[in-house]
Amino acid sequence: MLLIRCPYCQEERPEIEFSYAGEAHIARPLNPDDLSDESWAEYLFIRSNRRGLHYERWLHAHGCAQFFNALRDTVSDKFETTYKIGEARPQVKK
Amino acid sequence: MSYKLKSDQGVILADLLAGQVTLMADQLRYSLRIKSQDRTAFTKACGIDLPNKIGQTIIQNDRMVFCVGPDEYILIDNPNLRETLKQKFEQLADKFVFSTTDISHRNIGFKLSGKQAARMINIGCPLDLSLETFPVGKCTRSVFESAEILIFRNKEDEFQLETWRSFAPYMARYFEKFCLENESL
Repeated sequence: MLLIRCPYCQEERPEIEFSYAGEAHIARPLNPDDLSDESWAEYLFIRSNRRGLHYERWLHAHGCAQFFNALRDTVSDKFETTYKIGEARPQVKK
Repeated sequence: MSYKLKSDQGVILADLLAGQVTLMADQLRYSLRIKSQDRTAFTKACGIDLPNKIGQTIIQNDRMVFCVGPDEYILIDNPNLRETLKQKFEQLADKFVFSTTDISHRNIGFKLSGKQAARMINIGCPLDLSLETFPVGKCTRSVFESAEILIFRNKEDEFQLETWRSFAPYMARYFEKFCLENESL
């Protein structure tokens, strides 16, 4: 079982309380009407699908019910860090 | 051991091993959402103290207020106060932006007591319930065998578990199984 640190509860909690919510830092286009079908589809469906460190959203569904962002390694499944929504993305340590 | 099945609002509930797992009496329950910046003003206006940190609980007489999220509270009170509280909230409706939902009939409470109480919760919930990480007075939302629960530690060896009414028979069977398997404890 993984322990995930929730930045709102400020505690390490069992992964069963959380649910994954896709890649993080994808801003909704301000004027969707101005977009071509291709760029709208790109916003909706195209993701980086990164191997290695990945910025992603998580929901502490059975806890404080808040969304937060995490930096997770998709190979080792290790959470590097978690941070609140609205905070700048932490730099990746090489 | 003895337990009896009783029917409540169409759902069968088990009352297991009196003293160890008890089904709590009817309570008044509200889900209360209010922004943290309005918290102190709201308390001043209606006299309901709200904890300011996730996991904290405030107890005044029969009233318990749990803070389960940054702007989310669960209020449990004496059912006789239903009308009083409703009127209070109605008076505040145009002063604050907040929401109250009566969830009295959605939830049901278990009281787990005795030395094995924490172990009994841990059969279905992976939280660390040692006194260092889960002290008396702490509350949190979590899961018990996939059913959402609210755990509150009353005393060192007593917990209150709030869950949805429809999950109660399911959870009661887990407690029953635990009791059967650990009769000698």
